[in-house]
Amino acid sequence: MNPFQLNRRNFLYGLGSSLGSVAFSRLLADQADTDSRPGGRQKKDAAKAKACIMLFMEGGPSHIDTFDPKPKLEQLHLNKFTIEGPRFSGMSRGNRFYVKSPFKFRQSGQNEIAMCEHFQHLSDPAVADELCVFRGCQVDSVNHPTALYQMNTGNRLGGDPAIGSWVTYGLGSENQNLPGYVVMTELAAPQGGSGNWSNGFLPANFQGTLLRSKGSPILDLNPPDWKSRHHQRANLDVLNQLNQESLKNHPQHRDLLARMENYELAFRMQMEVPGVVNIEEEPEHIQSLYGLDNKETSSFGRQCLMARKLVEKGVRFVQIFSGGWDSHDFIERAHKKRIQSIDKPIAALIKDLKARGMLDDTLIVWTGEFGRTPDNTVRGGETAIGRDHNNKAMNMFFAGGGVKPGIVGATDEIGQSAVENVHPVRDVHVTMLHLMGLNDNKLTYFHGGRFKQLSQFGGNLIDEIIA
Amino acid sequence: MKSKVALITCLLILGASCAPSAGQNVSNEDAQAKLFTLQVLPLLKSKCFGCHGNDPDNLQGDYDLRTRQSALKGGESGSPAIVVGKPGASPLLEAIKWEGLEMPPKENDRLNEQQIEIIRQWIQSGAAWPSQEKQTEIKKQLWSSADPGKGMRLENSGGLSEEWTYRTYAPEDVWAFQPFEKPKVPATHKHPIDAFIEKELDKTNLEMAPQADAATLIRRATYDLTGLPPTPDEVTQFELASQQNHKKAWNDLITRLLARPQYGERWGQHWLDVVRYADTSGMSNDFERSNAWRYRDYVVRSFNQNKPYNHFVIEQLAADDLVREQEKSEDGKNANGYTIAPAEAQVATGFLRMGPWEHTAMSPERVSRQNYLDDMVNSIGQTFLSVPLRCCKCHDHKSDPIPTRDYYRFYAALATTQPAEMKAALLPGENQAAFSEERTHVEALLDYSTKEREKLYAKREVAARKWYEERGIADQYVPFNKRQILGRQKFFDENEAAKIPPRFIGLTSEEEGVLKVREGESRIWTRRLERFQPLAQSVYYGGDILVNSRMLRPPNPKNKKLMAKHKTMPTSHIYEGGSVEAMGQQVTPGVLSALQVSTYHGDQEDPYSLPKVTDRRRIALARWITKKDNPLTKRSIVNRIWNYHFGKGLAGNPNNFGATGKKPTHPDLLNWLAEDFVDHGWRIKRLHRLIMTSAAYQASTTHPDKKQLDAADPNHDLLTVFQPRRLSAEEIRDSLLAASGELNPSVGGLPARPEINLEVALAPRMVQFSLAPAYQPNRTPEMRNRRSIYAYRICGLADPMMEVFNRPKPDESCEVRDTASVSPQVFTLMNSDSITKRSIAMASRLEKEAESIEDQIRLGFALLGLNQPGEGTVELLVEHFEKMSRYHAENPPQPGDYPVELARSVVEEFTGETCHYVERLDIYENYVPDLHPADVKPGTRALADICLLLFNSNEFIYVY
Repeated sequence: MNPFQLNRRNFLYGLGSSLGSVAFSRLLADQADTDSRPGGRQKKDAAKAKACIMLFMEGGPSHIDTFDPKPKLEQLHLNKFTIEGPRFSGMSRGNRFYVKSPFKFRQSGQNEIAMCEHFQHLSDPAVADELCVFRGCQVDSVNHPTALYQMNTGNRLGGDPAIGSWVTYGLGSENQNLPGYVVMTELAAPQGGSGNWSNGFLPANFQGTLLRSKGSPILDLNPPDWKSRHHQRANLDVLNQLNQESLKNHPQHRDLLARMENYELAFRMQMEVPGVVNIEEEPEHIQSLYGLDNKETSSFGRQCLMARKLVEKGVRFVQIFSGGWDSHDFIERAHKKRIQSIDKPIAALIKDLKARGMLDDTLIVWTGEFGRTPDNTVRGGETAIGRDHNNKAMNMFFAGGGVKPGIVGATDEIGQSAVENVHPVRDVHVTMLHLMGLNDNKLTYFHGGRFKQLSQFGGNLIDEIIA
Repeated sequence: MKSKVALITCLLILGASCAPSAGQNVSNEDAQAKLFTLQVLPLLKSKCFGCHGNDPDNLQGDYDLRTRQSALKGGESGSPAIVVGKPGASPLLEAIKWEGLEMPPKENDRLNEQQIEIIRQWIQSGAAWPSQEKQTEIKKQLWSSADPGKGMRLENSGGLSEEWTYRTYAPEDVWAFQPFEKPKVPATHKHPIDAFIEKELDKTNLEMAPQADAATLIRRATYDLTGLPPTPDEVTQFELASQQNHKKAWNDLITRLLARPQYGERWGQHWLDVVRYADTSGMSNDFERSNAWRYRDYVVRSFNQNKPYNHFVIEQLAADDLVREQEKSEDGKNANGYTIAPAEAQVATGFLRMGPWEHTAMSPERVSRQNYLDDMVNSIGQTFLSVPLRCCKCHDHKSDPIPTRDYYRFYAALATTQPAEMKAALLPGENQAAFSEERTHVEALLDYSTKEREKLYAKREVAARKWYEERGIADQYVPFNKRQILGRQKFFDENEAAKIPPRFIGLTSEEEGVLKVREGESRIWTRRLERFQPLAQSVYYGGDILVNSRMLRPPNPKNKKLMAKHKTMPTSHIYEGGSVEAMGQQVTPGVLSALQVSTYHGDQEDPYSLPKVTDRRRIALARWITKKDNPLTKRSIVNRIWNYHFGKGLAGNPNNFGATGKKPTHPDLLNWLAEDFVDHGWRIKRLHRLIMTSAAYQASTTHPDKKQLDAADPNHDLLTVFQPRRLSAEEIRDSLLAASGELNPSVGGLPARPEINLEVALAPRMVQFSLAPAYQPNRTPEMRNRRSIYAYRICGLADPMMEVFNRPKPDESCEVRDTASVSPQVFTLMNSDSITKRSIAMASRLEKEAESIEDQIRLGFALLGLNQPGEGTVELLVEHFEKMSRYHAENPPQPGDYPVELARSVVEEFTGETCHYVERLDIYENYVPDLHPADVKPGTRALADICLLLFNSNEFIYVY
């Protein structure tokens, strides 16, 4: 029996039962301390990606109007849509009709990736040739928060650790002074809020840290204005003396040292974080590459640029939420605007990472929580040109570390359901972990009496996505 | 289907050809056949067939375990997987030991050493693979015999397969499901709890740590029972009394603490953690549960009244049935022999409304209904029986004796229960102090959003009229609602459709977005008015009607369509694989069969059945749960109480007594406590006293012989020392308010809204169709600075200070709080606005109550319930104070400023563009702020720095 493996199991049991031991009390897993770091125990599979940037389009972008054109809908446009079988929810009732895409499509790059006309930057062959569009994913829920939870945590009811937490738990962070898992939201937090980047039952240090675009980048990172860093240091020094005293009184209390160490770590973070988030230091050509000079693209562009800086500094998992994709109506103008807001920044991110030699180490994932229907209903007495939620068909794309560019999977001729290379969300998760060198079946945490894993009950790799 | 038939034939042929090897005697052959049939094959099926058998077209690694031949032959590597008689040379054994290959690959499925030994023996003894007939014969023989062989069998209502039904369990894995006798207290002169603990200690040469000192003990007990620090006077008096007669002083202290209203607040919070209390319903809309606070107060009240736990259980599950019993009985009493006020009863069943749930047009109805019932089944199992039941939604339980049938019988017990807001008159004791002020606030915002909405409506209608006029059909103008209906009717008629103006006529695309926001706001504030109505988040009995949870009420008797649904009694089925689409066998209401505890309703044929009528299902379930001979309930609650006193349950997973939960460290003690608890009327306060008067509870956190302790009891299972614990989020905040003198100790009432981090409070948050309104605190400090249990719990918005100190999210039941130290706690406790304000308020109090800086510092320690500092520490702090005074004189803060309006922007889904609007923050128009740093002198700010250090000190954060 391999003694290391035996230890691993004992170790995990111990972890589940007593948190707050020195090794886990840090915000960041210690890079040097590989044996006690959870991910340290993982043999790295032949992974390419060291970091992941997940671009989350909240609301459910329409596959039919982005990367999965359906010419058949041209003929059916506004014809009455009939659904077979019983109608289970309000979304399948009422007068329904087919809706064609208001957009033209073109094929880009050597893999002839289909893209709607408004992807003017992603369609640059240099970028398009990096993309792997996946059309086979299906989710369990047609409702926003449950689908969001499922896509982020594997559990549609929420409460479980997010994929970013699992990855950080598995791999640790490469930078002591930054959080391992960073989240940025556009204007508003998505439905379900922080449950989407929750650490669930994993130790609290694996929770996603919300990086704010205004004010303090991390909540309460700095003391009030009228308290200087020097003042803070003076306070910490006296606190340290008080706490040394209590260490003498309670020599058998294991948590004290770890807690004291946190104050020092916090102080270092106060110094390091502001530098990382300072976008203005970036050269002008980079700022304009990401579209910071344009009102339409500057918000998402800033976040993409920030993501690159964070990954460069050793942050493991960055998630950016872009809202407003829930186009039940007016899809032409709404999706057009949304696409334009992300197109240039994402293309810039891919180009920039590539130019820095980081693209091979970085996995980029673009997704929503579900796709949209080929049909719609009357809204407000009007022929609403938009689409409802569709959990049976959607698209996502991958780029960078370990990804094989191309198109994988297919939906039926009207885009109602995935029919080729069909996979549940857990398979996407298992594949993402694999691309980062983590094995879902081994990345477990003992909680509530069983070893839990991101996929809940295991999943299959989507081989076609993997280079 | 074809392949299945082929598979069976193939098995038969191979099985028949599997003759016993020469040289083995018959009994040995028989033993081998049994070994394979009863132990090896079930293991292979549950652990391996998933990838190596169930799907013959997709065998992982080309390895097929369905036949002896293919099992021996191995997979794609080409070499044999099993070398008969030589386990050491068999790669299969290596793989299941996780040496080389790691199989099964999932940590959860990994074989334990016993299971590996079974496979090893099997290979060693010749890898027998008897025929199908022989296997059937062996199984039939075993199942019909009273002796199950290895392990124990638990009778049950029947699993999906006979293998499951007749399977056996290791007795230690099903400890919780078995009946037990009250153990005898080991004969010593000691406290019964200590007697049981000493019995375990006798097996080692460890001794219990000595009693902690009086100051430590009063702080420990006061936090434990009230969640607040003792006052300086209380500490001094207790120290004196303890010197004279510790036993009496300790007893008196417990009596005093249990009598305080803060006791119910502290222990009510524990209960709310388990049941997942929140003031909103989570999911897309995070709808307000406007009257949930009444359930919260009911819980607090129940603890303070020392309500027998069995009544507490019954009321939360079925108080409505109790009332119906009372109405029918002559003496006005229910079958439990007491009377509960109808309104109180309606409030009590709020338990059945906890947990995130909603139904909207976006959700499939049957799935919504399943989500609700599944959540309730699981929650009832977990809360009252310490057996989570969700595992059995899709299959028979993998490790516990619960067939999926029992899950669906339990489910059926709730199938006629419908969530709704029910009428419930306000009770005399309910705190309505905040009603009028809160109503003003809600009405102000409703008025604002309605006016803004109406402005846009008016603009739209002007344009619509003009549209009709321009077409010369002014006479055909109809208002917006009518136009919508017309549009729907005439939808497929282009000519007619052209006679209706566009939906958002007259509005810019920005205004379209704003209109949606204003409509959303109006709905939210209209709903919020429910707060002031005599309603309770509750349930009623009836058929499924599933209305949008924007407004949940029992059906109006005039609504024939709804009433027809209401009167349709749902039938219950097993959903195969947990899918509502796969309706299997019908089931009737019932309870968990493997406990062998019959229901009061049960008969000989079905001792575990519950009533099949629409009502009375829940009361029958509740009475079964609280039956004295139900082995789970009584141990569940005493273990929970123990868990909160010691930071760890006697059984380490208070929510899971199943095979996968931690086993009890002191089973006899747990059983004795459970029986003793029932014998004395299920009284929780009595149990507190029993536990707290033990030497184990009063032990020091430091052991005199650390080496011995580490060697004999590294995990602190033997209860030789008391484990220090970190204060909970609520205790931290409440203690600071108490020490600063700002705490308003009033009990109960509408959710209080403390100040939370302003950025978080004002950050936009999506709810369906719109943005949630900004979080505004209460207007006055008295309303804000209430105990944390009364703080407004919004599923989608956590107070970051509470969250960072591990207050659980209300979507999952929390059996024990996490206490990991992480850096963001430092940011909160050093830098946040709240902590700064508490430090300023406390400093200003110290200045008022003590003269010299030395005395002020000493009082600071005392107010936080800390031991008095040594002279060296006082000197250190005085010196720091002087240094900080100089700093603050030169660095004055800016005065506080609160926004009365908020410029909002949101990406509107109809336009894909950002739209802008103004949200009114009415509270700040007339705000009474807490004491602000700019309001005080530099010296006060320097003293506040000292307070801040105390807030951050280990001595404050931990209870010893």
